[in-house]
Amino acid sequence: MSNNENKLSDYIDSLNAEKKPKEHGQEDISPELEELMKTVRQVKSLKEPAMPDSGFGRRVAQAAAKNKKSRKSWFVGFAAVAAAVMIFALSFTIAGRNNIVYAMEQAFQEVKAYHGYIEIIQTNAAGDEAVQGKREVWADKSGSYYVKEVEGTQEGLVTINNGQSKWQIQPDSKEVHVFSAFPDPYRFTFELGEEVEDVKNAVETKKIGEEQVAGREAVVLEVSPQGGEKYKLWIDKETKLPLKKQSAMQNALQYTITYTHIDFESAIPAELIAYKLPEGFKEVNTNKEQLVNNLEEAKSVAGYSVKAPAEIPEGYLLDSIAVELDAKIVKFYYTDTDKQNTVVVLQGKAAGEFKPSTKAVLGKINDSIAELQSPIAADSEILSGGGLYAGVTDISSIRWQEGGFEYAVVGNTAMDDLGLFVKEIAGAEIELPSQADMPAAKPQVEVPVDLEIEKNEQKSVDAGHSPWKLDPVFVAQVFASLKLSPEGITGDYPIAYESLEVEQNTGVEAIIKVNDDKSPISKIYLKKLIRQDNTGIWTVVGYDNAQ
Amino acid sequence: MQDEKSIEELCTSTWEPLYRFIYYKVQNRQEAEDITQETYMKALTYIQKNNIKIDKHIGFLKTVSLNVLRDKWRKSKRHGKIVDIEAINPEEAAVEDSAEVSAQHDAVQTALNSLKEEYRTVVELRILQGYSVAETAKIMNKQEGAVRVLQYRALQKLAAVLRNRD
Repeated sequence: MSNNENKLSDYIDSLNAEKKPKEHGQEDISPELEELMKTVRQVKSLKEPAMPDSGFGRRVAQAAAKNKKSRKSWFVGFAAVAAAVMIFALSFTIAGRNNIVYAMEQAFQEVKAYHGYIEIIQTNAAGDEAVQGKREVWADKSGSYYVKEVEGTQEGLVTINNGQSKWQIQPDSKEVHVFSAFPDPYRFTFELGEEVEDVKNAVETKKIGEEQVAGREAVVLEVSPQGGEKYKLWIDKETKLPLKKQSAMQNALQYTITYTHIDFESAIPAELIAYKLPEGFKEVNTNKEQLVNNLEEAKSVAGYSVKAPAEIPEGYLLDSIAVELDAKIVKFYYTDTDKQNTVVVLQGKAAGEFKPSTKAVLGKINDSIAELQSPIAADSEILSGGGLYAGVTDISSIRWQEGGFEYAVVGNTAMDDLGLFVKEIAGAEIELPSQADMPAAKPQVEVPVDLEIEKNEQKSVDAGHSPWKLDPVFVAQVFASLKLSPEGITGDYPIAYESLEVEQNTGVEAIIKVNDDKSPISKIYLKKLIRQDNTGIWTVVGYDNAQ
Repeated sequence: MQDEKSIEELCTSTWEPLYRFIYYKVQNRQEAEDITQETYMKALTYIQKNNIKIDKHIGFLKTVSLNVLRDKWRKSKRHGKIVDIEAINPEEAAVEDSAEVSAQHDAVQTALNSLKEEYRTVVELRILQGYSVAETAKIMNKQEGAVRVLQYRALQKLAAVLRNRD
């Protein structure tokens, strides 16, 4: 077979793999082969192009915008060098994550447990530094930890979570406060697992230099997180794990957190995470859950028949059953086999009509409305009765009512996994909303949107201002109220929040019904235009006039 | 083009048509992504250096991208001269090419249909369906070597049909 036949075949394979063929840019190709390659491209052009991943546009924009900034001082006269440097910098950011990040992920996977000393330094705008605290930490992969404040305002305070329970030894008051182990909103600053996760999920990471930290060689990364200010992270060249972190200067304060010492161990010493009331200390139990042994016991404590999941989804084990004594909520705790994730199934008597959180995505279970939150932004009804879940960023929930009971499945795991539990309780799949479910009917009146303004609004919300923009009902209320009083609103909104009803919410698009006779509009259509996750703001894109 | 925001805005609103334009030429994602990136670098440098305002961004960007591509493929002699960026009037830079693309598609499709069945099948399986030589061999009940020979001849024939059309 001729060489050209093989070359042409390899060329086709390259294009099929969406890789640049080596012939592109090669000078010594015969005109015949070149024509055949062109023909291959022409044929392939009949297909739709393979598009880049969804973050490509954003990365291009950010890289381009950044370049402009960095070029200012030394651009003139050095265009060629600058271009080379820019392209180099770009190749780093294009992948979104670089080799260092990958190495860090791999290195952390090997870690079983670690023991370290952390120093937190606060720097003010004038550059004055003050040690804010020093702490000793032990942490392992299952989420257990032991944190002791060694220096600072809370000196002596010890916080421990061993997966079964959580407690805090407060030497000042000679008290030990006991909490439930899950959910645990506490994450000690600079916990390595969280840190690695943050870098993995960052919009961009860029190597900006190399430095020594506590006598160790480190690579300095600049991390642009999803929302929030950029920060610097020092990665130990040898262990490939974070050593130091420096936040951006915010409100004239900057924090530098350093592992002044760290060892990697096989486990946290058992005696450190075994519950024991120190002598002379009083136990304060804030955990109102009573553990029970089986369904019968749960039933007698709760006072009603308890429905358990028909089968435990694969990969999970029943950890315990408990009854929240005040609200009579029964909780089944499940952990996955490597004890990384916890799922709690809650059941209680329905306290009235089901009112989903206005920020939640709405689905259906057995034709009843189901509230889906990821993460939980608002805990109402059974969620609030069953422990404080809201604001714990890695916890999602599905909540619904059926047969006079309210159920919820809560966990620090994927929505899909929660859905498996729902299926076992409700005996039906959860119907998730999709864009396809949005009615084809367009709003009667479209509202023009200025994306530039929305982008700025999003930034402002990211910085903590106007959090109501994350609530489609609130955004709709302001819109409807302004329609009624275009000159501005003084005092209460003329359209009450309670008179608005979420008709549909897919998490990206929402339709809000206005149940108010004086409202000139009957329905408001909203979209998340800038970012489509739970941190994205809602924008009114249209409305229907009242009949 | 005064600040970061407007650069981001420019990229966000133009990257997709620009990428599609480049992909059409190179037919692989890796190269299309690279050239898209580089096009913005070159274009922004030019725009900022000259402090000019461009209305028809996409036309200007496409022209710049052709330069980047030609630069990379280093075939200016055969494929025409490099367009001098300085000499481009951004307002007039070519924008419309969808009609051309569509005519090209028709021509390729017609040429493909004119091939004998075995040729058409091998081209469709290998290029349009993206099957490997081994998979194609299995489907067509042939040896892998035979598939390579067949696809070569099929493309030779197709190129000839397209050449005669020009």
